[in-house]
Amino acid sequence: MFYTVIEQVVNGIVSGSVYAIVAVGMTMIFGVLRAINFAHGEYYMLGTFGAWFAIDYFDLPYPVAIVIGVVATALIAVVVGNLVMQRIVGAPAEAGVLATLGVALILQNTVILVFGGSYKFFSGGYIEPVTLFGFTLAEQRILIIIVGLIVFVGLELMVTYSRMGKAMRAVSQNIECCAVVGIDVRHIALWTFILGAGLAGLSGVLTAPVNVSVYGGMGELITFKTLPIIIMGGLGNVRGTFVAAMILGIAESLVATYVGLQFRDTVGFATLMLVLMWRPHGLFSAQARF
Amino acid sequence: MTIELSRRGFCIGTALIGLQSASSIAFARTEDGTVKLGLVAPMSGPNARYGAFSLRGAEMAAKEINAAGGVGGRKINVMPADSQGTPVEGVSATRRLIDQNQVDYIIGDVSSSVTLAMQPVVEDAGVLLLNAASSNPMITYKAGVGGFKWTFRNYPTDENRALIVLQYAAEKKGFTKYAVLSVDTDYGRAAIAFTKKYLPRFNSQILTEDYYKEGEVDFRSVLSKIRDSGAQAIIMYGNADSTPIVGRQMIEVGIAGKIPLIGNAEFNTASSIKAAPKALEGAIEAAAWLPAYDSPKSKAFVEKFIAEYGEAPNNHAYVHWETVHLLAKAIEQAQSIDREKVRAALSAIHYDSAVGEVTFDDHNQARLPMILLEIEHGKPAIKGAYSAEIDYPK
Repeated sequence: MFYTVIEQVVNGIVSGSVYAIVAVGMTMIFGVLRAINFAHGEYYMLGTFGAWFAIDYFDLPYPVAIVIGVVATALIAVVVGNLVMQRIVGAPAEAGVLATLGVALILQNTVILVFGGSYKFFSGGYIEPVTLFGFTLAEQRILIIIVGLIVFVGLELMVTYSRMGKAMRAVSQNIECCAVVGIDVRHIALWTFILGAGLAGLSGVLTAPVNVSVYGGMGELITFKTLPIIIMGGLGNVRGTFVAAMILGIAESLVATYVGLQFRDTVGFATLMLVLMWRPHGLFSAQARF
Repeated sequence: MTIELSRRGFCIGTALIGLQSASSIAFARTEDGTVKLGLVAPMSGPNARYGAFSLRGAEMAAKEINAAGGVGGRKINVMPADSQGTPVEGVSATRRLIDQNQVDYIIGDVSSSVTLAMQPVVEDAGVLLLNAASSNPMITYKAGVGGFKWTFRNYPTDENRALIVLQYAAEKKGFTKYAVLSVDTDYGRAAIAFTKKYLPRFNSQILTEDYYKEGEVDFRSVLSKIRDSGAQAIIMYGNADSTPIVGRQMIEVGIAGKIPLIGNAEFNTASSIKAAPKALEGAIEAAAWLPAYDSPKSKAFVEKFIAEYGEAPNNHAYVHWETVHLLAKAIEQAQSIDREKVRAALSAIHYDSAVGEVTFDDHNQARLPMILLEIEHGKPAIKGAYSAEIDYPK
């Protein structure tokens, strides 16, 4: 009994790590651009497709495929960032919603057009189970947790110490003041967007071996999983997002076990509704951005 | 006043739309010398794979018939429409085929939920719907003497399947304790409902019951629950795309090779087995057809399909191929493309399919055997063909 609960919590931490890596990008993009990126799941999908393509067509090993997936996503993010995202800095909120929804549709359907609408089988990764303290866990899942931690520590260091990170923090706090003191806001916005999309791509590549199936519409689910997380975490709040992602991952895992798998997807939005009722600004303050 | 006006406008508008659609049914069906055959199938979305196979099967059959001079001198023109596997899109695809493409016959859909939604639409239009791949028993409970005169089904139902699978598992394997992990659709739910109907007959019970949404990727929590529940087998009615994921995660939680999958979710396709060979070993499945089925007609179909498309056909390719041929035979026997006459011909047909003779009962349901197979040493082994007469509720 106790063993099962612990095991489900560990499962939850794995899904929480995936959500966290995706959501942190989305929340940073919100912080800087003041726009919810409805195409975020699509970058997750692009990362997965990049890696799948590398493995399936060129027979490359999985570690190389990770790099290719992330680089491919980042390159597409450079294009989208220049054409679309930079322009919504300071634009009304609706512009951001429509623009990103449009980008989501274009990316999704382009992939379907090029690769077909069917499921693809992702053959890379490390799925052999290892036993740790009596729990069995695939190597890939351990990798996901480790990468999740590295990403968050890295981001924390970047926004605290690096010049770019400090500028990102500044822009997320006050765009006008940044413009006044000579920070190139559009430049910062572009780089934040590329970083966020790249992280979504990374998380796609990391989860592909355990999710196995790859298809054009796979990003939608991720966007809708991520939305409650970033709202719960306080829009733009990086640490809050990490905690919210873990809470959601563990809650989903426990609900899937003790209530029923079919109720898993309701957890996010049910929690979100409760949070919005009691704490409209999210569990963590939006003021404490980054 | 303004409200009054707009209400009147609305009434006139509605009446005009009504007239328009009435006239299109009465006059618009023009003859262009072909047999227009709509094919509603998921061409995109999570079930797109099925749609692609369905279309290839149907197109191959149409090509064969046309090459042999067509049916009654007419060529068959297959018109695909995408249902995305959802009832909403399926209904609008059906409407498009009927209203815009003016089809006389429709084959569709792979998904039971979609077929159930299409039934009243074709009934209103008086277009013949031949279902070739969905297995929810309700489809033919409601057809023929059940009410929907225009729906036929050339596919076994989940009721047969549930009974046959359960019987084999109990008698040959000695299983009595099961866990359920099925897709949360009309297909998955109904298959389990019928399994429950027959459980007492085999002194068996279900210990845990879970349904997954299509596109679900994380089964670990449920699989570890199943591992601790003491179940001897997992009853899974689902789609082929989830099978490799479930298989891989069974390896992760350490139940691969210990608790087999039984039911139907394309356990026998090479790609599913390749994804998780250890987990699929011992899987038991009842299928309408499979490529390894040993009959001359079936073997010839497989060979031709591989030559044409470069990959082995699946169940859906076969049933759609066979159903187009079945329809062509009915048209030939009716000696007309008049829908009423073709419908009558279909009711009385004796068609020689690759798995046996096809006849329809008074619910327009084909009487068909199912093939039972078990995965042994990474390959599907056929354990026999079983059929069961359906027990319609009175």
